[in-house]
Amino acid sequence: MATLARPEGGQGDAYRRPNIASADVQLPAVRDYEQVDNEIIATMKPTGGWFAGLGLAIACMLIGASAWVYQIYWGLGQAGYNPPLMWGVYIITFVFWVGIGHAGTLISAILYLFRAGFRTTIYRVSEAMTVFAVMTAGLFPIIHIGRPWKFYWLIPYPNWRLIWPNFKSPLVWDVFAISTYLTISTTFLYIGLIPDIAVLRDRETNPVRKRIFSILSLGWRNSDREWRHFARAYLFLAAFSTPLVLSVHSVVSFDFAMGLTPGWHASIFPPYFVAGAIFSGFAMVWTIAIPMRRWFGLRHYITLNHLDATAKVVLFTSLVVGSAYLIEFFIAWFSGVPAEIEYFYNRVFGQWWWSAWILLICNMVFPLSLFSQKLRRNTTWLFILSIIINIGMWYERFVIVVPSLTHEFEPWQWSGYVPSWVDMCFLVGSFGWFFMWFLLFCKQLPVFALAEIKEIIPPKLRESHKHDDHIDVTGRHQPYERNVPGEFA
Amino acid sequence: MQGVLAAFRELDAAVHAIEELRSKRLGDLTIYTPTPRHEFEDALGHPSSGVRKFTLVGGLLGVTFGYWIAIWTSEYWPLIVGGKAIASWIPYTIIGFEVMVLVGALSTVFGMFYLARIPRLTMTVGYDPRFSHGDYGIFVAAAPDKFSSVEEVLRRHGAAEVRGER
Repeated sequence: MATLARPEGGQGDAYRRPNIASADVQLPAVRDYEQVDNEIIATMKPTGGWFAGLGLAIACMLIGASAWVYQIYWGLGQAGYNPPLMWGVYIITFVFWVGIGHAGTLISAILYLFRAGFRTTIYRVSEAMTVFAVMTAGLFPIIHIGRPWKFYWLIPYPNWRLIWPNFKSPLVWDVFAISTYLTISTTFLYIGLIPDIAVLRDRETNPVRKRIFSILSLGWRNSDREWRHFARAYLFLAAFSTPLVLSVHSVVSFDFAMGLTPGWHASIFPPYFVAGAIFSGFAMVWTIAIPMRRWFGLRHYITLNHLDATAKVVLFTSLVVGSAYLIEFFIAWFSGVPAEIEYFYNRVFGQWWWSAWILLICNMVFPLSLFSQKLRRNTTWLFILSIIINIGMWYERFVIVVPSLTHEFEPWQWSGYVPSWVDMCFLVGSFGWFFMWFLLFCKQLPVFALAEIKEIIPPKLRESHKHDDHIDVTGRHQPYERNVPGEFA
Repeated sequence: MQGVLAAFRELDAAVHAIEELRSKRLGDLTIYTPTPRHEFEDALGHPSSGVRKFTLVGGLLGVTFGYWIAIWTSEYWPLIVGGKAIASWIPYTIIGFEVMVLVGALSTVFGMFYLARIPRLTMTVGYDPRFSHGDYGIFVAAAPDKFSSVEEVLRRHGAAEVRGER
């Protein structure tokens, strides 16, 4: 929890700062703890719109599930692969969803370590998004192997012939990275939820739900002993998750970068993939959070300041990925390798020009609008931009996978690719699967972190003191530095 | 366990009560708070959590296992390609790192559960649902003969409710 930011200079009556870095996180319209509980728990009441959304998501999911049954029956040939192109929509969508999953852990772990206050109200939404996005991503390699019931062959377990996976293969690294990421992000989400589930348990009147919440809250009592160990464990989980975020998409990029295929064999891939993942993940946070704050009437929790701060992250990552695109062209030219130069020319002026231009315009041009503060604080524009970015990022993966495989070294190998209807059904199904889980989550558990939001609300005091007078909430006269970056709005 | 439980609406009142209870050594204190506050940490003066030891041991075990499984399996079934080393530590670093994070994080969670005494099967005495909502609670584990003096301190500092728990 955020209170772990123990002020430098010791304890007690020494030099102190407020409990949390409060830059851009002030919630002036939120008065007390009761309001937090009432308003956020009220979002868990199902509405007609929610049922409609869930029905649509389940319908989309069933389209994907039907396509999977069809493919299992008729074989992987239904996937539209065209040798030598044997990676198509499945791998593109896999990388896309892994990328979506990155913003959640970035917000909940990395921004936590950096004491970026704007994470407080959006981190639960994005953490849940991470778990469901990685769950979605994890399906695609299993679908792609054609015999999904054999997926466990990639896990190192002592079978009767002692055949082990090849640990030098990036595909095995992927298995370790993604499964670790899913496990840790789920654990991180659940650990953060425990105090909030205890709140639900204590307010619940339905005996069945109360019993379920009692089990899930593990008997949490909000005692000082629990908070002390909880806060330390949360810090360490954040510390583990931070390099994990960076490693996972780096490892995903190794799937490509370890190959000799033109367009893939680049050392820039790991940072470029990580930046792209954060870019697309934040866009998906907007896609979810902007309608949510409107439908739930919680604009005073996810304020324009929060969205403004996230927009700056999106702008920064857009500039990073934009630079990476341009550097790729430069490196291709500078390498002097004919296949590489040919491939990059083909990317923008040849067979796949349309996909590359969609990518460049969506990911490099439109996000430049975020230099305008007016647009950074315009929720309609941010929502539209989030859709544009998500389309652009899906095409980024398309541009990496398809043009490279269809335009390798030997001209006689050059081919084309048209996704089949089965591919498209899986793409639709993946969105249905993701939103189904998300919609179910947001009606069963709080999508805003109750305990952390309470942490940034001024506590009720017997004797009113002002922070401005250098008197802390307990009445001690203790000076703290004003205008420390990141501490005050 | 027996003692006195008090609910406070205001943070500063609870902190002042804790300070006086500690100075008078009236019994072991358990504080309930809907959200963690430095003020309580400072007033109670507990040492920092021992979760870090679980994290360290878990991380070391994880990284050792990650490298070991990759190296042992390579040696067990060697695939010699171009005379290169059978066990190659550079790619195995990825496995070592991922398993370190996995085992280290899970052992951190285990350490938290162990030290915080959760999962707790019963709520026992000394808890009130309002402590997860907005009030601060102080439970003083004390013998019945000290109840009156504990109650006096708690009420003087503005407790909204005080009750004996047995």
